[in-house]
Amino acid sequence: MVTVTIDGKKIEVPEGMTVLEAAAQAGITIPTLCYHKDLSPHGGCRLCVVEVKGARTPLASCTLPVNDGMEVTTESPALHESRRTILQLLLSTYHDAGYAANDGRVNELEHWARVHGLDPSETMAKAPRYPINSDPNPFVWVDLNKCILCGRCIRACAEVQGRFVWGLAERGYDTRIVAGMDETMLEARCESCGACVAYCPTGALDNKPSVGAGAPDKVVTTTCSYCGVGCQFDLQVNTKENRILRVTSNPEAPVNGMHLCVKGRYGYDYVHHPDRLLKPRVREYLLKGQKRPANGDRGPWVEVDWDTALEIVARKLVEARDTYGPDSVGILTSAKCTNEENYLMNKLARQVIGTNNIDHCARLCHSSTVAGLALAYGSGAMSNSMKDVAEKAAVIFITGSNTTEQHPVFGAMIRQAVLKRGAKLIVADPRRIDITEFATLHLQQRPGTDIALINGLMYIIVQNGWQDQAFIAERTENYEAFLENLQEYTPERVSAITGVPVEQLYQAAEIMGKNRPMAVIWAMGITQHIVGVQNVLTLANLQMLLGNMGVPGGGVNPLRGQNNVQGACDVGGLPDVYPGYQKVTSEEARLKFEQAWGVPLPDKVGLTVTEMIPAAGEGKIKAMYILGENPVMSDPDSNHVRHCLQTLEFLALQEIFPSETSVYADVLLPGVSFAEKDGTFTNTERRIQRVRQAIQPLGEARQDWMIIQDLAQRILSRGKRRVNLEAPYAQWNYTNTAQIMDEIAALTPIYAGVTHARLEAGESLQWPVRSKEHPGTPILHVEQFTRGKGKFHPTVHIPPAEQPDETYPMVLTTGRVLYHWHGGEMTRRSKGLMEVYGQPLIEINPEDAQRIGLNGNRMVRVSSRRGSIIAEAWITERVPPGLIYGNFHFPEASVNELTLAALDPISKIPEFKVAAVRVEAYSE
Amino acid sequence: MQSENGNHKKEKILAAVEAAIERYGARREELIPILSDINRVLGYLPPEALDEVSKRLKEPHSQVMSVASFYQMLSTKPRGKHVVQFCESAPCHVVGGREVWEALQEHLQLGAGETSPDGQWTLITVSCLGLCSVGPVIVVDEDVYGNVTPERVPEILARYH
Repeated sequence: MVTVTIDGKKIEVPEGMTVLEAAAQAGITIPTLCYHKDLSPHGGCRLCVVEVKGARTPLASCTLPVNDGMEVTTESPALHESRRTILQLLLSTYHDAGYAANDGRVNELEHWARVHGLDPSETMAKAPRYPINSDPNPFVWVDLNKCILCGRCIRACAEVQGRFVWGLAERGYDTRIVAGMDETMLEARCESCGACVAYCPTGALDNKPSVGAGAPDKVVTTTCSYCGVGCQFDLQVNTKENRILRVTSNPEAPVNGMHLCVKGRYGYDYVHHPDRLLKPRVREYLLKGQKRPANGDRGPWVEVDWDTALEIVARKLVEARDTYGPDSVGILTSAKCTNEENYLMNKLARQVIGTNNIDHCARLCHSSTVAGLALAYGSGAMSNSMKDVAEKAAVIFITGSNTTEQHPVFGAMIRQAVLKRGAKLIVADPRRIDITEFATLHLQQRPGTDIALINGLMYIIVQNGWQDQAFIAERTENYEAFLENLQEYTPERVSAITGVPVEQLYQAAEIMGKNRPMAVIWAMGITQHIVGVQNVLTLANLQMLLGNMGVPGGGVNPLRGQNNVQGACDVGGLPDVYPGYQKVTSEEARLKFEQAWGVPLPDKVGLTVTEMIPAAGEGKIKAMYILGENPVMSDPDSNHVRHCLQTLEFLALQEIFPSETSVYADVLLPGVSFAEKDGTFTNTERRIQRVRQAIQPLGEARQDWMIIQDLAQRILSRGKRRVNLEAPYAQWNYTNTAQIMDEIAALTPIYAGVTHARLEAGESLQWPVRSKEHPGTPILHVEQFTRGKGKFHPTVHIPPAEQPDETYPMVLTTGRVLYHWHGGEMTRRSKGLMEVYGQPLIEINPEDAQRIGLNGNRMVRVSSRRGSIIAEAWITERVPPGLIYGNFHFPEASVNELTLAALDPISKIPEFKVAAVRVEAYSE
Repeated sequence: MQSENGNHKKEKILAAVEAAIERYGARREELIPILSDINRVLGYLPPEALDEVSKRLKEPHSQVMSVASFYQMLSTKPRGKHVVQFCESAPCHVVGGREVWEALQEHLQLGAGETSPDGQWTLITVSCLGLCSVGPVIVVDEDVYGNVTPERVPEILARYH
């Protein structure tokens, strides 16, 4: 610590701190423009100059380190004059045309000018030098007339997003910021994250969709509705029009700070899309008391009031239950909805209907992770925090995760870990995804050969004695059996299976073996295989072998896809567990919930979504109630899904838009978007965060928890199932979501200490939160695994279910892209996102493109044994020869028409990642 | 024919980049000499060259552009066959530089930074060339001329046809 005196105040600050930071600590604000605390100091604008005793001239405080005994003056007539002159000079080349004057954005230049007695409108240049709105990017507004060359955008792009789009071109008076080689931002590889906008002090870079939209009369901090990273931001709202004006960064956001991605910052306009369901709808035949039309066509929709719609749903679900038994009803809950809503869906299925047939799309993404990690460690969640991986991992091993596109803010954090502190990055992925640019090593294995690859790496690690023998001895079991199995995976054999050169296997094993800690990150590339659970077990083995569990910067880090898929699993949205992963097959757990809910509960595991839909096709499931899911788009083999849904006797769908699935629905209940509701989401690192209502529900739509409650009350009031309403949690009379969380906490040990009040008080809690005093658990498996000892599982390479052959000679692997989300229900209704990525593209290697005769013509037909799609090809070296890649965002050409429903035997996850296909050039 | 020309042009650009990187190595620290060599061979730095340099050095477009557009000796726009550089610093100015500048503009019918429509000439101003003792100074291509007077301008330029 050193002692400095600033404006006569004596303060103690750590060595290495700058004078500017020290002043801030003492509560003294020094004017700045080019400085931002998140970015490296630049020392360019000279506004932050201070007088230091003994120094000849004023010095820039943002780059000046403190010295012991330093005496600093931050305000004096001379400093004032110096700053005023600088501001005058900046204003002389600055021109604000005034179009964003009412947007409420703080313009730091104009602010400091006024503070120094200058009237910006008087002092600024009289005419613009550049065209206003000079870049076609749909999200970022560029007005170089307002640019003061502070370089914050350049540093933000480099130091936050890691993309280096902005640079400084020319010299002297002609100097200006420029995208890439003076090209458009998108040509310069901009990912439209908007970081440059967030850090711009003047609005030279602004949010294009909301320039001129005016100032908010309310600002609400909430949690993003896209991926599982759990970014928080502010929704700026015009309450009179009940409209979201824009999304802005909230520097206090625990996960992301100022950073966001293109979907989070700009993909909010779906909320106000004209397709929104604003009134309940039922099929006409239901109102006329007729039989349902045959052939799956359910007839015309009629808009009705809530009472009519909910009465029909209650009647139909009770009919099915009382006629065919509770297990004839299937419930799909939603990873897009809140914890509170998912808990209620779980209670509705189990208490009110009496079935464990509840599941959601976690089945399709990380069910194999949950199952695999539960077997190996006893708990199926991400073990570490994103921040600690980014800040402390010596090695980051990413496999089967397109991190920069699917978890963009975490992807950007990993880029910075490589750039700023030289973390070693190993990427194992069949495609040359963006993050490989930052990789020390890219292992390009064939799809479906992960077990062989990881076992091969462990073979070399053990061969060289790089394993953590102490960790293995103290904290694990079954190591001998694991070792024996490993002997099969010699580098030569592994190289033959995976296509990865032997030399690269040695390089990767050496990096892993000689550097600790290593964090392993994975997503669908690991989980969506018939060997999904085995893949996960193999990665669990790797981290035990290296002793990387229970330490900062290490761990197993499956990245959860949906905003609340973690929470939906946590609070009972699964067929085999009650909230908090208490097994329905455990007598103790069942008794606990029977007593809580006042009703006998079924003791057998329910159906998964991948079983429920085929069961509907076979007539075993008669009625379904689906909340915010779109199985026609998200499940494999869409044709078969359609057939099964057609066969259902009754389907109630609660949604915000008509969807590909609503075609098969009998009743549509209009729920609301994240902006209209209250509750909590749990992010990928188990962090429980508040979702706060920013606008009133549109039209007659209702908050989903209210709809579920209303429906539960109606079902309970009729039919044969009797509930003892004296039981402590039997009732359905919540008046707010905090009460629902209190019930979750009471019944869910890992959420025991979670309350809305704690979150409102600013606590950021990661489960397990064992009590109201417990601070939460940033890292799992410290000192001991959840199951006691970690268990090694020998795993064996099994080839994918479908292999290329003469008829279907290529391999299709599937996934998503940066600009879209899941079935595309939200992002296809976002104007800007569609401008950037408006149609499905099939990635194909130039060699293959040439072979199939794709000259000039860009359209291809892709066929599998299940179906075929026609889409435009993107000829690119991202995919190797023999492999194509497609997404499932667009109904006109979704890859799930092609995928097969081959399931992992334990987790029932489908093998989305490998299908045999034929690709042909297509012309109409 | 057009595309053949295009291919030829592209080959020439790639060859220039290749030669420069061969000479200095594909390292960020060598960016200025690499660009300088390419500029000498091609007369300027076409986007294709900058793109290739960016790929080979694994440096983003923006960084390559910042350097390429900053230095007077480099140009991101096509230049004439001959480049005339005029020193606009004070020492040259006070010994008659202004008259020489006017004569150059008059003779070439060009303003600062302009290139003649026939692609023969580009006229640019530069800061001090370090030859103040013999000002006014102009540089044509790589030849330096000191003690220039307006009268000498036509004669000097006539050497470059």
